[in-house]
Amino acid sequence: MPGVFDRLNKEIKDKQQEGGITPLDLAGLPPALRKIMRLMLRELQMTYPRLCEAMDSMPEAERLSRNDLQDTLSTLTQQFWLIRIGEGEKAIYKVNLRHGAGSTLASGIWSSLNAKLKDKPKDT
Amino acid sequence: MNKGKIVSIHSFRGGTGKSNTTANLAAQVAMAGKRVGVVDTDIQSPGIHVLFGLDENKMGKTMNDFLHGTATIREIGFPIGDHVGGAEGLSKLAGKNLWLFPSSIRGREISQILRDGVDFNKLNEGLQTTISEFDLDYLFIDTHPGLNEETLLSIATSDVLIIILRPDNQDLQGTSVTVDIARSLDVPNLMLMVNKALPKYDFAEIKNEIEAKFNAPVAGVLPLSFDIAENASGDLFSLRYPDHQWSQALRGVAQAVLAVE
Repeated sequence: MPGVFDRLNKEIKDKQQEGGITPLDLAGLPPALRKIMRLMLRELQMTYPRLCEAMDSMPEAERLSRNDLQDTLSTLTQQFWLIRIGEGEKAIYKVNLRHGAGSTLASGIWSSLNAKLKDKPKDT
Repeated sequence: MNKGKIVSIHSFRGGTGKSNTTANLAAQVAMAGKRVGVVDTDIQSPGIHVLFGLDENKMGKTMNDFLHGTATIREIGFPIGDHVGGAEGLSKLAGKNLWLFPSSIRGREISQILRDGVDFNKLNEGLQTTISEFDLDYLFIDTHPGLNEETLLSIATSDVLIIILRPDNQDLQGTSVTVDIARSLDVPNLMLMVNKALPKYDFAEIKNEIEAKFNAPVAGVLPLSFDIAENASGDLFSLRYPDHQWSQALRGVAQAVLAVE
């Protein structure tokens, strides 16, 4: 029977499939949103109190007020660029990057290439 | 924030000596007593493993396995200090805390990534977990030349970005693009490194010109050298020939990395 951890992991995985931000999009974000996303990329996931702590440790000029932080988190969550699991103080935020596009070459090319490489004992 | 710093090494064009520089910088920082990791995110054309004396047989699990969910980061880290082999320069890393996280050089696995695309959530998780799992002070990322999404992700998550360029007009234009992107991604520490400069030029003048053009510090100007070509990625040049002009300038770049707060 799946436990709480498995259930939360599944919830995250399901939400991650619903979109996400590309690395290129990060460059086009407004500064406040980019700041949060950069922080989240490094931390992988954070609770709201931990985000507040991280904000407080930034240089004063770069800090977001609590209201701005909440607005920013809402925007990022609505876009599915951040995933929120849970509510209120216990909510966990996790960055959601869009899966890279695979090759647009006809699938036959890959199966043919794979078949050729499959029996090769060793790459040179 | 994680304790360890992420240092991405990038060049807009191929052939600038990016992997050679990354391997030598990582080695120099490890020689300074730091815990260092090197990740090969050049999944399409991996090569840095050669500089650390690895081939397909020694390599074991790779970043490709991690991205496909069949290996953990702990399983991928290859302890270079425990497997230094016979190369004179490389052997100086014996006992040092340096791990390589290689990309696969098996044709099927490269083609699989090209076909399916990269799971960027997984790749980012891998980069960050590498630092925490191995308690690293520095994680060096060897990127694919040009601007693709793997590279942009590694730039976006970096504490330090070193852009390598040659004193060549094509490189200068490409570097301009990369510098703009890095600035729009808020990379806290951006450095340039000029490699393969003709020895007949005035290196101080090159440094001043490039710094003025890009409004960014040049951490070193390294000469074009037949000695490096002769080394043919067979050893870590800066450890094997520490007194060579290239090695001395490379150590200057390593010092600049170590000086970042």
